[in-house]
Amino acid sequence: MNFNYSLLFFIIDILSYVSCERLHKQIYSSIEGGAACFRRLNGTHQVGCSSSDKGAVGVVALIRDVSDAQWLTQNATAGPYMAVVGTSLFYDVMDLLLDQPQNVAGVLVFDNATLGTSSFTQDSKCPNEYSSGPGSQCSSISKDNKVWNEKGTDLLRKNIPFPIFFLPESRYEEITKIEGCYERYNLDRSNQKNMPLCSIQLHSFMFAAVNSAVCLRRSATTVLLTPTKVCDPLGDNNVYYSLFPRGKGLESKTKPVILVTARIDSASLFDGVSPGAASSVVGMVTLITAATSLAQMIPLKDANLYDRNVLWTLFNGETFDYIGSQRVAYDISRGAWPPSAPLSPSDIPLHIELGQIGGSLMLNKDNESWPFYAYTPDDISKVTQILEELNSNLGVHKMTLSPVFTDNLPPSSLHSFRRILKNVTESGSLTEVLLTDFNEKFTNMFYNSALDDYHNIGFLYHNISIGSDGKFIPTDELILNGTMKKTEIQVKIAQFATAVARTLYKEVVGNPYAGSVTASAHLVDEMLYCFLRSQACRLLLAADYGSSGSGGRDERLPEQPAPLYVGVAAWSGTAPVFAGHLLALLTGDHLAVNRTKCDALTDPNYSYYWLKGWNHTGVCIQTTMNFSQAVSPAFITPDYDFTSGTYSTWTESVWLSMWARVFVSAGGGGARAAAAGGAAATLLAAALTAWLRRHAAAVFSAPSTQVLHDASSAAGILRTVNC
Amino acid sequence: MDLARLPNDKKLQLCRWYFKVGCVFLPFVWAVNTVWFFKEAFVKPPYDEQKQIKKYVVMSGAGAIIWAIALAIWVTIYQLQRVSWGVIGDELSFIVPLGRP
Repeated sequence: MNFNYSLLFFIIDILSYVSCERLHKQIYSSIEGGAACFRRLNGTHQVGCSSSDKGAVGVVALIRDVSDAQWLTQNATAGPYMAVVGTSLFYDVMDLLLDQPQNVAGVLVFDNATLGTSSFTQDSKCPNEYSSGPGSQCSSISKDNKVWNEKGTDLLRKNIPFPIFFLPESRYEEITKIEGCYERYNLDRSNQKNMPLCSIQLHSFMFAAVNSAVCLRRSATTVLLTPTKVCDPLGDNNVYYSLFPRGKGLESKTKPVILVTARIDSASLFDGVSPGAASSVVGMVTLITAATSLAQMIPLKDANLYDRNVLWTLFNGETFDYIGSQRVAYDISRGAWPPSAPLSPSDIPLHIELGQIGGSLMLNKDNESWPFYAYTPDDISKVTQILEELNSNLGVHKMTLSPVFTDNLPPSSLHSFRRILKNVTESGSLTEVLLTDFNEKFTNMFYNSALDDYHNIGFLYHNISIGSDGKFIPTDELILNGTMKKTEIQVKIAQFATAVARTLYKEVVGNPYAGSVTASAHLVDEMLYCFLRSQACRLLLAADYGSSGSGGRDERLPEQPAPLYVGVAAWSGTAPVFAGHLLALLTGDHLAVNRTKCDALTDPNYSYYWLKGWNHTGVCIQTTMNFSQAVSPAFITPDYDFTSGTYSTWTESVWLSMWARVFVSAGGGGARAAAAGGAAATLLAAALTAWLRRHAAAVFSAPSTQVLHDASSAAGILRTVNC
Repeated sequence: MDLARLPNDKKLQLCRWYFKVGCVFLPFVWAVNTVWFFKEAFVKPPYDEQKQIKKYVVMSGAGAIIWAIALAIWVTIYQLQRVSWGVIGDELSFIVPLGRP
C-alpha cells in the first residue's frame, strides 16, 4: 500500500514538473541572438543602458516610419511601449524617443539589409573630443563648426533611460515572430487599453552607477565586507614589434626609432558586436602587412648597417579616450616603454599613424584610385621629403596623397602624444604624420558601429590556400592570372602597404628600394578574412599557440570574427593576441629547433613563441614582438583625480544576465476577476467565522469528561515545566 | 513564563532586570518589558511592589519610544542623504544598492 502511494506521488511530481515547463514555454518565447546596450562609466558620468532589476516590459510598437514614433511618444494609451525599429530609422527615431522617454520601456533595433541604411554610428560627432590635443577645433556642441563624424548620434556617450537590444541580420526570424504576434494582437491602435497585447521584456540590469570613482570604490574591499564587484576598468594589451632588436647592451638600442602606429579596437553600442572594418581593421591589416614587407626588404643581419630602427605599434582601447596610446605616451614620458629598452621622447624623430582607413574603399570600388590624406601639424619643410616619397610610391598604383597642414587633427593616437609629450611635439623635434582616406569629415558612415562589417568595405574573400612554406602569392601574379582585379580592396591595401614599407625603407636605409619585394594581396585577403569573417582561418590557425602533445586548441577557433571591443582589463582579449602572433609569425625568424629547446632559449633581445606554424606541426619563432599593458594611467596613478579629465577613466559595469523575450500580456480582465473573487472569498470566510462563533454552542457538542481530564493533566505538565 | 503564577517580589525582580538589560542599547527589551508588565503596573489591583514596577514600566516605555523616534529620524536622514554624503554614505552602508546612486 505504501509503495503504491509513493508511486502515485512520484507520478504526480513528474506530471506537475512537465506541465510547469510547458506553461512557461506557452507564455514566453525567448528572443535569441540579441546584443544588449550596456553601461559604461567615466570620471564624471554613467553612459549606456540598463533595465530595471526585473527587466523592462513594454507593449510591442512596430516603428515603420517616424510618425509611428510620434504616436508612441504622444498618443499611445496602453504604455509603456517597446519600440521595434530597423537600423534605417534608428537615427531619426532615437531623438524622438530620448526627448520623451516617459512612454518608452525600451528599444529593439534590428538590422535588415533590404531596407538598408546610409549611415549608422553611435559615436560622437567629434570622437574622443575631450582627449584631443592642442589645436583641435571639432566641437560636438556648436552647430556651425565642421565635425569629423557628421552622422554621429553620441549614443555611445549618453545615459539612455531605457534598455536597447540589437538583433543582427542573421536573427531576422525573431523579428518575423514579433511581427506575427504584433499583427495578431496590437493592430487596433485606438483600442489597446485593457486588451491582451503582444509585449516584450528586455533584461539587462547593470550593477554599476554614477561614475567610475563611485563604482570602483564600491567594488573595492573594505574592512567590514567583501562587496560585489560592480565595475572594471577598460583595457587590454598593446602590441609592439621593432624591425631590429632593441635589447639592453645592443648598439641598435640607442638608434632613433620611427614609430608607426595603428589601432586594434573598435566598439559599438551593443555587447559583443564590434566589427570595426573601416574603423580599425583596414589600418591594422595595413600595418601588419607593411611590417611583413619591410622585414623582407631589410634582413635582420643588416641591423648594424643602418642608423634608424622602426617600431611598429598597435594600440588598443583607442575608442575610449585613447587608452592604449595615452598609456604608451605616459610611459615614454616617465621612461618606462618599451619595458626592456625604454625610449625617451627625443629618440623618436618621426611618428606615422595609419589612421582610420577604409571608409572610401566603397566610394572607389569601381576604379583603381584610393585618395589618401596626410595630416600633419608640423612645418612643411620637415615632412616634405617623406610625403613626397610616399606620394611617389603611391602614384605607381594610381593612388594619391594630399598633404593637409593643420593643427586640427582627426581622431587618432597623435592626440595622446600631443597632450602628454607636449615638449617634443610642440618644439617640433617629434614629427607627426597621420594617414587617412578622408578629408574634413569621415568617409566611413558606420564609424564604431555594429554595421561597420565587411560589407562596409566591400570585402569578398578569395579563399586561396597557403603552402606549407608560408609563401604568399605576389599581387602581380594574382592580377596577371586573373584571380584578382586591380579594383579589389585586397590589391589596394597590399599596394598601400607596399608604399608605406618602401617609404620606411628609404627612411631607414637612405636609398630608395630597388628590390622586388611587394606586399601580397593574398596575405591581405587572408588577414581580412581572419579579422572580419572568421577566426577559424588559415593565418590564425598557423599563428595560434602550438599544441602541447594532444590536440591543444586545434580547430576550435570560433567561426566568427574576434570581438574588437577593448573589454575590461581583467580579461585579455583575443584580437591583440592574434595581431601580435601574426606579426611574430610573418616577420620573426623561424628557428629549426624543437619545443623543448625553443622554451629554453633566453636571448634577452628576443621573445620566443612556439606557434603552430604553416604546416601545424609547431614552429619556434624568434621575434622582437611583445605586448604591453593598455590600461589608462588613471588606474595606475595613486590618488588620481577622476574628474580632472587628464587620462581616460572608462570602466564597464558588471551584469549578471541579458535576455529578451516576447509574450502576450493579459488584458487585465483576468486579474480583476481574481481580485474580486479573492475579496468575496475573504468576506464569506469572515461571515462564516462570525456565525460559527455566535452559534458555537449549538454547532459543537459539549466536551466530554475525557477531554476535560486531558486538558487539566496537560495544564499540570505545563505548570511543572514553567515554575 | 506565566506572570500570573509568579510571586510579586519575583515580578519586580524580573521587571527591574529587563529594564537594566535594556540599558545596554537594547530598546527592544524595554519595549517587551513595557508590554509584558503593562497589566501588572496599571490594571491589576494595587500591591506592594506595584509602584516600583510602574516606575520601571514607564521608564522602559519612555526609553523605547525615544529610541524609536531617534532611529526613525536617523533612518529617514540616512535614506534621504546617503547619496549626497558620497564616500561616507557608502562607508556607512552594509549593502549598497546595485545599479543606482
